[in-house]
Amino acid sequence: MESGNDVDAHDPVAWREGFQVGLPTLFGLGAWGMVVGVAMVKSGLTVLQAGVMTLVVFSGSAQLASLPLIAAGAPIWVIFATAFVVNLRFVIFSALLAPHFLKLPLFQRFYLGYISGDLSIALFLQRYPSAAPERGKLSFLKGLLYPNWVAWQVGTLTGVFLGSAVPMEWQLGFAGTLAILCILVPLVVNSAALCGVLVAGIVSVLAHGLPYKLGLLVAVLVGMFTAIAVEETRGRRKVRHG
Amino acid sequence: MADWEIWTVIAVLAVATACTRSGLWMVGHRVTIPRRVQEMLRFAPACALAAIVAPDFMLGPQGEVELAVTNPKLLAGMVALAYYLWRRNMLQTIVIGMVVFTVLRISNVFHNSL
Repeated sequence: MESGNDVDAHDPVAWREGFQVGLPTLFGLGAWGMVVGVAMVKSGLTVLQAGVMTLVVFSGSAQLASLPLIAAGAPIWVIFATAFVVNLRFVIFSALLAPHFLKLPLFQRFYLGYISGDLSIALFLQRYPSAAPERGKLSFLKGLLYPNWVAWQVGTLTGVFLGSAVPMEWQLGFAGTLAILCILVPLVVNSAALCGVLVAGIVSVLAHGLPYKLGLLVAVLVGMFTAIAVEETRGRRKVRHG
Repeated sequence: MADWEIWTVIAVLAVATACTRSGLWMVGHRVTIPRRVQEMLRFAPACALAAIVAPDFMLGPQGEVELAVTNPKLLAGMVALAYYLWRRNMLQTIVIGMVVFTVLRISNVFHNSL
C-alpha cells in the first residue's frame, strides 16, 4: 500500500505538463461548449435548467441529442436510450484509460471517469501508452482533466447566458445540429459505418411520423444492423480472396 | 414538456453518462472488449447521431420531406459537411453553416416560408 500511495502522490511538475499538453485544446472546447449552451436555451430550456444540465451531465453530444427529443415531448425512456447509445463510444475510450488507475479509491475512479473526455484520453495515452503504475501519472491526468472541465463549463454557461439574450427567430439552435454533424463525421470509420449512417438517416426521416419518437430508435437499430451486415460481407470477401 | 419531466430528463441523462463513462472504471479490473463488440459500440453512436440530425436537415417546418436545394437547412448542412471534410475544423464549420443558413433565411431567396 505504501508504494501505491507514493505512485499517486501529487506531482506538480507532471500536473503542469498535463496542463500544457491540454492547453491548446481548451479554447476550442470552450467555444464548442458555447454552442451547446446556446442550443440548450434556444430549444426551450430555462437558464436554470440548462445550467444544471451542463453541470451534472457533462456530455455535449448526449445533451445536444436530447434537445430535439425534449422539444418534441418524447417519452423519457426514449431520451435515456438515445443518450445511452450516443455515449456508447465512451465505453471504448474508458476501457483504454481505466486500467491505468485500478488502484485508486472507488469514488475517485468514478469522478475521474466521469470527467474524462475523448480528447483528454487521447492526449493521455500518447504520453503514457503503458498501463503500468508510474509516478506522476495521476497528476498528469488531473492537469489535463480539471482545466478541461472548467473550460467546458465556462464556455457552456457563457453560451447559456448569451443565448437567452438572442431572439428565437435567429434559430441559433441549428448550430447544435451542425455541431452533431461535426462529431458524426470522424465516427464514420469505414464504408460499413457509412452505409449504417446513411440508412439510419433515411429511416429516421421516413419514420419521423411514428408516435413517441420511436422512429429514432428504429432508425438506429436498422442502421446498426446494416453496418454490421456490410462489415460481415466485406470480411468474408476478404477471407475468400485472401 | 412539464417542468418535472425536464428535471427527470436531466437526471436520466446524468445516469446514462455515468454508466458509459465511469462504468468500466468502477468495475475495477482490466476489461478487454472483443473486436466485434467494439465495432458495434462504434457503429451505434454514429447511427444515433445520424438519426437525430437527418430530420432537422431534410424535413420542412410542417414535417414534410424537403429534399430540394431550396431548403435552407439542407443547403447549409451540405456546405458545412463539405467544409468539415476539407478543413476538419468544427468551429469554423459551425460558423460557416450558420452564416449560410442565416443569409438564406433572411434574404428569403427561395421564397421559403421558413
